[in-house]
Amino acid sequence: MKARFNTGRTSAQGQGLEAKARPEYMAATSICMMNPVDLMDLELEEGERVLVRGPAGEVVLTAVQNEGVPQGTVYVPMGPYANAVIDAGTHATGMPDYKSCTVDLEPTDDEVKRPAELMEAVGGLAYLGDEE
Amino acid sequence: MIHEDMICPFCGCLCDDLVIETEGSEVVRVDNACTLGSHKLMNAGKHRLKAPIMRDGGAWRDASYEEAMEYTAGILLDADRPLLYGWSSTQGEAQGAGVSMAELLGGVIDSTTSVCHGPSILAIQEVGHPGCTLGQVKNRADLIVYWGCNPTEAHPRHMSRYTTYADGYFLENAFRDRKLIIVDVRKTETGSIADEFMQVKPGGDYAVLSALRAIVRGREDVVPPTVAGVTKEQLLRVAALCKEAKFGALFFGVGLTMSPGKYKNVRNAIELVDDLNRYTKWTLTPLRGHYNVYGSNEVFTWMTGYPYAVDFSRQIAFYNPGETTAVDILARQECDAALIVASDPGAHFPKKCLEHLASIPSVLIDPMHTMTTPLVRCQIPVAVTGMDASGTAYRMDGVPIHVKKFLDLGYPTDTEIITKIFEKVTEVRHP
Ligand code: SF4
Repeated sequence: MKARFNTGRTSAQGQGLEAKARPEYMAATSICMMNPVDLMDLELEEGERVLVRGPAGEVVLTAVQNEGVPQGTVYVPMGPYANAVIDAGTHATGMPDYKSCTVDLEPTDDEVKRPAELMEAVGGLAYLGDEE
Repeated sequence: MIHEDMICPFCGCLCDDLVIETEGSEVVRVDNACTLGSHKLMNAGKHRLKAPIMRDGGAWRDASYEEAMEYTAGILLDADRPLLYGWSSTQGEAQGAGVSMAELLGGVIDSTTSVCHGPSILAIQEVGHPGCTLGQVKNRADLIVYWGCNPTEAHPRHMSRYTTYADGYFLENAFRDRKLIIVDVRKTETGSIADEFMQVKPGGDYAVLSALRAIVRGREDVVPPTVAGVTKEQLLRVAALCKEAKFGALFFGVGLTMSPGKYKNVRNAIELVDDLNRYTKWTLTPLRGHYNVYGSNEVFTWMTGYPYAVDFSRQIAFYNPGETTAVDILARQECDAALIVASDPGAHFPKKCLEHLASIPSVLIDPMHTMTTPLVRCQIPVAVTGMDASGTAYRMDGVPIHVKKFLDLGYPTDTEIITKIFEKVTEVRHP
């Protein structure tokens, strides 16, 4: 299924900012908020996983039902998961298309990666010194 | 110990009425702050990195401040095109030291503005900024519009301190006398309390703004029955409300700056405010996210003439968003060293930018372990401004506020660390 991809703040994402290594931050940013009708079309239950493929790559997220999100649109809180699919082009403005790319959605059984794994996938080295 | 009238160092509202209770070096209670502010203040002391860390082959090790600062100065001096990025969650004093260092290095300095309200600034440069202070809004505005933003989640006390729920000097019954219009692509909690909730199809903001401008200018005949999902009836109602207001205040968020059209959306919003000012008083204010992202624009502007994305490689300040902005420089693999201060591109930049960041020598100055930590070679922990450091921050309406320290946890401030690195750089460049 194709959908328009949107990202932005949520209060749970904002609360997680001071401790991004904690599971709360991962839980707050690795969700894909969808209209219940879209969820039904994909034959997904809330809490199941969805593979989101965008212009820059793909990422596995947890599907969450949200009536406020219009059909045909998904909302992913800003963070490393949303950025895994967004292209870096800015059309000469400095601002990437955080709110206007098109993505493909399909159900998946794959696990949601940990944020540290996402950073290792782009060439980083996880720091485990203070993880509880 | 009870600390009164403290400033919240989270969002651009910079609420200045917090009461914080500490026991020893722990925050045990925060009153008046919203959930975002109190989460930060309750937790920022707990999750600090203890000491600088450096990458050693395939592992991390602890380092001394001296070694970490030497390393930072070294990679910046060795680079042809260093990028100094971030600057939004720190004090104005540190921002100033950063600009001086970027100039001396011939590098590029950019703040998180480029990925939040950078497009708003581009629009303001084209057509001006009909702004005012939040105090004016609180005391005078009888119509509030929030467009492409969600204050309930991102600026939770904005409505209670300055708009819908705030008492105003010139309003008898502020809550009843103030009308609220919300414009968004999705129905959020903020939308459910509005007098008018106008749901725009994604990407349709420019068209809706244009339709409203046409109506305000008396040309409703050219407006079709629906515009980007909004009916003409609703557009007429909203335009009438806007014209009837005594004092209207339009706030907008990244829903306008990040959507197709980017700065042209904001330009159209400013011009709508301009059109409305032919009938009554209207103002417009971008809702700024980080508590001192506005400060980075102020400091960069006094020092260089430009608000963000300032490039010193030509020995003079040069500014060209789309070319000298951090996302573009990283995506083009242009910079060969990076200093990241008080921001988290690891969490907020597209993957392609992170791949380049991870491949070059880079240092992060930040109190916590963040998504950027795995991407850099060295991290230097510092005090949190508004908690264990004082400093200047600019509220979203441009009012500078002294952010106060109430704890001492023994960490150096951003200003101290950057000044010391700057001294090391100066010793080599201007001995
Ligand atoms: S609204 Fe912003 S400044 Fe005010 S308490 Fe909440 S996070 Fe802090």
